[in-house]
Amino acid sequence: MTLSIQHQESYSRGELLLRTIFGAIYIFVPHVFLLAFIGIWAGILGFLAFWVVLFTGSYPQSWFEFQVKLMNWSMRFTATIMHLVDGYPAFGVNGTSDKVSLTVSYPETISRGLVIVRTLFGAIYVVLPHGVCLMFRMMATGVLAILAWFSVLFTGNYPDRWHAFNVGTLRWGLRVQLYMTFLTDEYPKFTGKELEEDAAPIAEAEAPAADDTAPARDDASPATDDATPASDDAGSKEKPDGE
Amino acid sequence: MEGHSTHIALPQPHEIPKRDREDAMGAYLMMFAAWGAGLPLPLLNLLAAIIYFFTNKKTSRFVSFHAYQSLLTQIPISILNASAVAWTLRNLYKDYAFSDYFWTYFIFIGLWNLIYMIFSIIACVQARKGRFYYFWVFGRISFARYFGPDAVSLEEKEKPNLPPEGF
Repeated sequence: MTLSIQHQESYSRGELLLRTIFGAIYIFVPHVFLLAFIGIWAGILGFLAFWVVLFTGSYPQSWFEFQVKLMNWSMRFTATIMHLVDGYPAFGVNGTSDKVSLTVSYPETISRGLVIVRTLFGAIYVVLPHGVCLMFRMMATGVLAILAWFSVLFTGNYPDRWHAFNVGTLRWGLRVQLYMTFLTDEYPKFTGKELEEDAAPIAEAEAPAADDTAPARDDASPATDDATPASDDAGSKEKPDGE
Repeated sequence: MEGHSTHIALPQPHEIPKRDREDAMGAYLMMFAAWGAGLPLPLLNLLAAIIYFFTNKKTSRFVSFHAYQSLLTQIPISILNASAVAWTLRNLYKDYAFSDYFWTYFIFIGLWNLIYMIFSIIACVQARKGRFYYFWVFGRISFARYFGPDAVSLEEKEKPNLPPEGF
């Protein structure tokens, strides 16, 4: 898993004040409103995914991608509301940002045993130790966020190390979330730092991932190629409601 | 080419990507959505099936077929369940007696749900294998919508995926 939130050279003081005074109205309310509804859907999919993983040993890929995209949206929103980046967070699971990016490589298999262990004992061996550490870290993050607010207001600069620390808190929490929602089998490390082993597989996986799916889709499309001559990237995707 | 009235071959299991098979399987799991939400509202399953259908209808025909069939089968069962819930609530809040009619209906609903669950799980497993599975009536309606009669002439009888019987 890689989470990167860009540290800007300079931050807009005007945006900072705008976010502080009106952020609840124009950022918090609309995003949280939508995230809550889509979160219900994500929760339903997560619950069903538990059973799918239990019986098949793999997380449905499109559901996995949906969950990651939703986390991406949530991170865009959180980073903005925490003043880690300027700008307005894009709405929607398909929204993108040039300052905030979350990448999680899709695991072909998920351990069924671990799924049961996590469900039964996750609160003890994951939530409790990480929760205690994160609680203290979040306190520190809160203090730094307040100090950084003044720093941005007076100097237009968010101290680099504070920024890294606050992003690290988000990254750590996200790792715990990924583990507890069965999106990865890797036990979360007790650190907020970017891990080298996280970055490497994703870099390798990104290029072949597109290649892997494309031929598979092409294989399927001849079955319906007459009906879908115009499929492009979707390749392979048929247009069923053409009638 | 005009429209899609030309040949539409049925995709066979080896031609269907894993992702599509998983998505098709997911359609039948929507019957458990209310459990996931933790709310005993039968219409939630129907709502989930509708959302799933609309989010997947532009993927492959295979997925759309299963999502549509799942949605159609949810409609009668959701109505039956909703009426059972409404009847129960009415009796509870208005202090009416739980008559024999009520219990008969309740048992009927229970059996119906059990049968529906069994067939849905079978459909779920078949979909994940890349196979078609046709529910009574709804299978034909869904097949007609996404493949139509032209699919029939193309199929050979030994292929795993065939149109519904007598289509």
